[in-house]
Amino acid sequence: MHELGVAGEILDVALSEAARHAAKKVTSIRLRVGVLRGIEPENLSFLFGHLARGTPAEGATLDIVEDPVRVECEACGVSEAASFALECPRCKESGVSVTGGDSLSILSLDVEA
Amino acid sequence: MGASGNVRIDVGRSILQSADEAAAAIRALLSERRIYALNLLSSPGSGKTTLIEALLSRFDGKGGVAVVEGDIETEIDAERIRRHGVQVRQINTRSTCHIQPSRLLAVLREMDLSATRLLLVENVGNLVCPAEVPLGEDARVVLLSVTEGDEKPLKYPLVFRTSDLLVITKTDLLPHVTFDVDRVRRAARAANPSVEIFEVSAATGDGMSALLDRIEALRAAKSG
Repeated sequence: MHELGVAGEILDVALSEAARHAAKKVTSIRLRVGVLRGIEPENLSFLFGHLARGTPAEGATLDIVEDPVRVECEACGVSEAASFALECPRCKESGVSVTGGDSLSILSLDVEA
Repeated sequence: MGASGNVRIDVGRSILQSADEAAAAIRALLSERRIYALNLLSSPGSGKTTLIEALLSRFDGKGGVAVVEGDIETEIDAERIRRHGVQVRQINTRSTCHIQPSRLLAVLREMDLSATRLLLVENVGNLVCPAEVPLGEDARVVLLSVTEGDEKPLKYPLVFRTSDLLVITKTDLLPHVTFDVDRVRRAARAANPSVEIFEVSAATGDGMSALLDRIEALRAAKSG
């Protein structure tokens, strides 16, 4: 249920940005979410929809752009993966360094002015 | 009335921004007072409170240590720590599965930290949410007991990615469980190449002095 806190933060940001731009309605919210964040998109959308009732963001859709992890291998360079990896997906060597996949940010809002 | 129509607003803002701001305020408070702070994370029952008790017995001047306990409910841990004669506060997070930096900041502002050199924050037992929320700490410590299984760094990569110290606890139970210490070490290093790994048993005392010495050295480097 940790999506509840995240959904609340998204709503706060969306409403304050919409008010700042004198928008009447928020129609969609574009997010970047890292694959390591353990966010279930369906659960996040459900909770957001519940919290947004009666606000200018009621009915807004969440458009989630996935942020993959980057697996860096000395021999093969950088590959992307949809989950945490312990080996290079190309040469299967271990001893890789794994970065990224931890974004949690709001990219943009679509609003009706 | 202005023209109506659809508009895209660029936001480019972290969802955790308000939490990040509170964490920065904690960092400033700790830095001003030269207090070294550890944020302790693990599943429930891995040994966070026991590690705090070991750290308290390592420190002679009890006035130099302050403890903040985080739990969904109860004062049980704070009462356990209070018996050691140190300053302790309990945060009950109720429906929230981690300590929020705004709560910690409010608690720290109420405490008398004039003599404090080491602050120990025990987060809510949970490998997911506490990993996402920095508390302005100097170092993050994740504990993993051998009874939990050696796949935890693969299942909960974020907490292992963001922790500076990994403490494998209850090593006296290794003969009785299936737990590949090397597998954990490999996975933890892949998540964070600079992680420092310790193996300890509070029951036998094995490995404990190396861990306590390291924490004391880290603390002394900041607060003297």
